[in-house]
Amino acid sequence: MIRIINALFLLLFSINVQSQELFVYSEPASNMAAHTLGLRMAGNLMADKNPLHNSFMLTPELMYGVSRNIMLHAEGFFTDFNRPIEFNGGALYGKFRFYSNDEIHSHFRMAAYGRAAVNKNFIHQEAIDLNGYNSGYEFGLISTKLINKLAVSSGVSFVYAADNIGNKFIYGDKNRKALSYNLSIGNLFLPKEYTNYNQLNVNGMLEALCQTNLHSGKTYVDLAPSIQFIILSKMRIDLGYRFPLKNDLSRTMQRSIMLRLEYNIFNAFN
Amino acid sequence: MKKFFIILICLFSLNTNAQVSQITIQASGLTCSMCSNAINKSLKTLSYVDQVKSNIKNSTFEITFSKPALVNFDQLKKKVEDAGFFVARFDVTMDFNKAEVKNDTHLNIGGVFYHFLNTKESLLNGTQKIQVVDKGYVTTKEFKKNAIYTKMNCYNTGVMGNCCSKNGSHAGTRIYHVTI
Repeated sequence: MIRIINALFLLLFSINVQSQELFVYSEPASNMAAHTLGLRMAGNLMADKNPLHNSFMLTPELMYGVSRNIMLHAEGFFTDFNRPIEFNGGALYGKFRFYSNDEIHSHFRMAAYGRAAVNKNFIHQEAIDLNGYNSGYEFGLISTKLINKLAVSSGVSFVYAADNIGNKFIYGDKNRKALSYNLSIGNLFLPKEYTNYNQLNVNGMLEALCQTNLHSGKTYVDLAPSIQFIILSKMRIDLGYRFPLKNDLSRTMQRSIMLRLEYNIFNAFN
Repeated sequence: MKKFFIILICLFSLNTNAQVSQITIQASGLTCSMCSNAINKSLKTLSYVDQVKSNIKNSTFEITFSKPALVNFDQLKKKVEDAGFFVARFDVTMDFNKAEVKNDTHLNIGGVFYHFLNTKESLLNGTQKIQVVDKGYVTTKEFKKNAIYTKMNCYNTGVMGNCCSKNGSHAGTRIYHVTI
């Protein structure tokens, strides 16, 4: 496994082309352009220990660039945990970019964000996930740097799990708080040289996604390689695979494949 | 008297930049085509912009205008910033009509005020390129570096101080700092 990871990192670093920071499993510190509307639909296929319980989650998402420094997301969660697929809840997310140090073809940016989620699912895992599993809130910081056209981003956030609608958080009040953190790198593989907006862009990303419960100290560390296609400089297709490296913090479904489509409407309301 | 000046400025500003034929902006902080496209689309929302020719590799945008009289540098800069990026270089191609340029001096050209920095005394005639070096029009590093060329406070504020009430200007009038 370690060999595979090393090979992936080597591959990402050894190709000296322009990079991307439009990460698949995390958000960069940069925002969407002001007045741009983004439409997303993500499908997550999740593997349970018992294959009969493999599940599917559908996440429609709306994003809007309020200003150059503020953007908002609203997402809904549909899962088939209880067969058939049903609406389980939603989340609101806001991000504020508060620091930018830009140079030609490089930047260092920082942003603060908050998320509030409601969910009516039965809570069946100790790990806290506001994307489709738990009601609760989260706030955190993101730093993103482009170094020699390679994007590296890290984030850290405090997550609090409330009771879900009609379903209590059953892992004890002391275990409601967790720290989530990630390290993400991204690189552009194609095109070799930009000539126009119609060129297909292909990005490769590798992300480490982690959470530590602040009371129990239990941790999971996931690795998520992904590939991204950008079409006509306004559409995105993301394909990612997420799997655990360290898995103390209990989760029912640890491996997943995600396919996400995104379409951006620039200057949607002016 | 103040009202008179304001009316005078308004009259002048109607003719603002009638002589601007092209502006080339280099943006900083981006490497991707979707980011470049966001700037491209943002610039095109201005009613007086005719065409935007983008060079994704160099992050430059060559802008031509359908209504040159309406061109406003600050609006163009804001459009780049709205897209989430910054202006690193802002070159204006203008048609001059015997404009007498002196170093570290204010000059009213067609109702817009310019402050020429690091420039030799000369008579500008015909098509010439000038670079705007105001805060937000160059990189932060370059803005600090250029500060040696003037002691006037308008370099930091972008507007005239009390010292400059002449030729249709008054304290608070926008002044663009430029170099050739």
